[in-house]
This record gives sequence, structure tokens and C-alpha cells, in this order.
Amino acid sequence: MATERSIDEINAKIRRGTVRVLTAAELKAAVRAAGVAAVAAEVDVIATGTFEPMESSGAILNIGHTDPPIRLAKAWLNGVEAYCGFGAVDLYLGAAQMGESLDYGGGHVIAELVAGRAVRLRATGLPADCYPRREYECQVQLDGINQAYLFNPRNAYQNFIVGVNGGDRPLYTYLGTLQPRLGNAVYASVGALSPLLNDAHLRSVGIGTRIFLGGGIGYVAWEGTQHFSSQRRLPNGSPVGPAATLALIGDLKQMDPFWVRGCRFYNYGPSLMLGVGIPLPVTDAAVVAAASLADGDLVAPVIDFSIPRRVRPTFGLVSYAQLKSGQITIEGQKVRTAPLASTALSLRVAQVLKEWIASGRFELTQPVASLPAERPLLAQERPLLS
Amino acid sequence: MRKRVILTFAPAIVHMPVTYRLAKDFNIASNILRAQVAPDEVGKLVLELSGDIDQIEAAITWMRDQGIDVSLMGHEIVIDEDLCVHCGLCTGVCPTGALALHAETFLLQFRRSRCIVCEQCVPVCPVAAISTNL
Repeated sequence: MATERSIDEINAKIRRGTVRVLTAAELKAAVRAAGVAAVAAEVDVIATGTFEPMESSGAILNIGHTDPPIRLAKAWLNGVEAYCGFGAVDLYLGAAQMGESLDYGGGHVIAELVAGRAVRLRATGLPADCYPRREYECQVQLDGINQAYLFNPRNAYQNFIVGVNGGDRPLYTYLGTLQPRLGNAVYASVGALSPLLNDAHLRSVGIGTRIFLGGGIGYVAWEGTQHFSSQRRLPNGSPVGPAATLALIGDLKQMDPFWVRGCRFYNYGPSLMLGVGIPLPVTDAAVVAAASLADGDLVAPVIDFSIPRRVRPTFGLVSYAQLKSGQITIEGQKVRTAPLASTALSLRVAQVLKEWIASGRFELTQPVASLPAERPLLAQERPLLS
Repeated sequence: MRKRVILTFAPAIVHMPVTYRLAKDFNIASNILRAQVAPDEVGKLVLELSGDIDQIEAAITWMRDQGIDVSLMGHEIVIDEDLCVHCGLCTGVCPTGALALHAETFLLQFRRSRCIVCEQCVPVCPVAAISTNL
């Protein structure tokens, strides 16, 4: 008889302490050994995780009202400008916002706040009768402000691209340094471990899904920007390039500095590395089948960054098994590969999420709405205004 | 024993077949780690010398007598384990494979004996975990 479970039944098991959880890596090994049906009968939850740079992230902070009050016009945290065009003392600090140099930015400030360090706030006001103050400067810390939460417009990319450089000078990109004459190839997804590549058609993950975010509890808030579920797919259902994305939200005050790291790419700029873990409830055997894809079943396109256009030349598709072997072949030339996402820490996110669920600390949620299954990716192609 | 040295040649002595002399006169095997030599320019050679300890000392004295500037490679690459996130981005720019991800744990491994201290990994590291102890 085919396995079927409701999320309520799984949560009852979590409360009783009888839930059976496997990480995505463990699940794939179990399916290879015993097959989909047997594993689906035995396993209640699959814990997936990734740890990678997520540049489209940012923090909403409410710093509290000053006396006399101020309406923020411009604000800087450790020299990194935050947006304040909404709510008198609300700020949005983007992870990729650059500070005084390309080597320090919003991602670093967010990581410092999570680590409990004081951050210098400098602000100018837009005076009004209710907000007379013109300037303010102080040290802020996470425990001394009201709300502080990550609200990330685009995280957990379902698959991505592989960057190479067919030109004759080094290129400094969001994939790191790409060496000339196909000197290296950088890939950004953890492939078969990647949360959304274990749920290719988004049957399990939806709006309202509770997740591990930066060591605390977060939620899927919306489809991410550039969500592209209409991406072309292989017969096994996996997308052949960048596809679904998630907008994530989570309380910074719960997060752990180990899972929230400021980073920067040389000559490119700052970003944020973040651990994201997503549980997949095994509501039926199809969930296990979707999560059983291996690195050899998943592909990404190799893109030449030496042509600085939106549509860049591609050298075709390579599998994650090839990428993780350390070398791919492009037009007869052997090219060494390097990852951008941490496999070691991705495995650890999944392990921590598994422990949270098994210990009863983390229960699963039923999504309140599905993510769009058909979403094209539009380009900006309107004519220029002279 | 093995010793790493950086040799700097003035343009006038760039023609000297130094690795041949090291082998013939001092019985030293020199492994060229990096080299930059062009006619009428200052040349640089990074060597790993392998041989008898007294012979290496004698060879260094002899090279200095020839007007070659010999500096011992004191600095090396240091990885801050608390900062490293094991992403592996550095492995793509490391020319000798000294930086590699472990095949099973995927943790970053640094094999110091392979490192030629080219320092390409230092700026590439996104979390500033790699430095030289200069």
C-alpha cells in the first residue's frame, strides 16, 4: 500500500519523539540501498540544507524612537548606507550595500549585529513638526533595538550557473575571480544537497513553510525575485539552470553568528553567507522520489563571463557530479572547478535541522499557499528614453 | 633536508646556470617553484633546495658571493579555522593543489608542503580567512 502521511501526523510523531528524520544525503543513500517505496514507508521528514552566499538579502531594523524624535532621512551603520524611506525609525540594510570600500558592506554589518557587537549608527533627519531632530549618532546593538529580522528577497536558488572566463584578463564577478583562458570554473549550488533541488516541482515547499534560517527559525515569505519555475527541465524534473527562488524571513535575534557570515568577492563587493535549512515532510512516496536525485542527475549551464551581455555564450551543460570531481572539459580543454557554496557546512545545516526535528524543537508547517508553478523570467527590453 | 629560498638576480648575472651549479658542486636538487627571468631584467627564482644541510648552507654562501640576493622563505599561508567556511573558492585559484577539499568531508585541506606562497588565495577568500604570516 502506498505511503501517505499528513503533516499533522508527522507533528504528532515529533511531539511523541518517534519521528524518523534523514538528511538529504542520508536519504539518497537509503534510496540507493532500499528503493523509494521502502524508504517512504520508513521516513517521515527529509532535512535539507545549504550554506552559500545570498547577496539578495537584507535586514529590517527598528531602532526605537529618540528624544527629541527623528524621522530618518539617511542612515549609515558602520559606514554602510541603509534605506530609510519608510517609517520614521525603520531601516532596511541590504547585504550587498557597499561601505567605505568594496571589502566591507551590509552583510558584514548584519553578521556583526548577530554576533552581538555594537554597530555605529549615524543618521540625518528629515525634520517635521512631529520629528524635529536633524541628526543622530549612537551605537546600536541587537538587544537594544525593537524588531530586527532578515527579509531576503531572493535566497535558496534552485540550481544556478557555472561561470568561466574565455577572455584574456581576469574577471572579478559575483562568482569570485574567474581566471582568463578558461583558467577555472566556479559553480554556486551544492547540487543534490540543495534544498529546492530536492523538491523540483515545489510540491512540499510553499509560502509559510517553517525553515532553519541562520541558526534561528524563519519562514518562506513569498516567491523570491527572479523566481523562474518555467525554466526548462530534464526528463527527471530538475531545472537545467537557475529556476525557483524563495523570499525568506526570520528573526535576527535568534540567529547564530556561525551561520551568518559577512563576505565579499574581490573587486566585486560585499555579500552575506547564510545557512538555510528546509524540511520536506514525506507526505507520500513522490516526495522521496523527488529528493532522490543525485549529482549525476542534475546539470547546470557553463556561461562565459567574458562577454558582458545579459545573454552570454554558453559552453553547454555539465552535471554536478562532473563539477564536484574537480575538473570539467570545455571544448577539449580540461578546466578545474571550484565551488562557491560550502558542501561541508550545507551538510551540517541539514544535520542540525534533523536534530531540531528529532528533539521536538522544530515542528513542520503546512504551506498556506503554493509557490507559482509557472513563472517566466522577464528581461528589461523596453526602448531606451533617448 | 629541504629549504625554500627566493633568489633575486641582477641583470648582469641572469645568465648564470645556477641550478646546474647547485647540482654539480653541492649535490643539491633544486625544484623550481616559480621563476621570472627575462634578458636584461632583474630575475626572480623561487627554489626548494633538497640536499645535505651543510651543502645547502655552503650553497647559500656561494650564491651570495656570486651577487645573488638569497632570502629564505619565512612567510607562509595561514588559514584561520574559525573564519573558514570551507566553501572551496580558493581551490580554484591554487596552482599547485595545496588547497583542496577533502573528498569525503568536504573540509578545506591545506598541504603546506605543496604551497608555493603565490598568495593568489589571499584576496580570493570571501571571508578573509587566508593570510600570510609575514
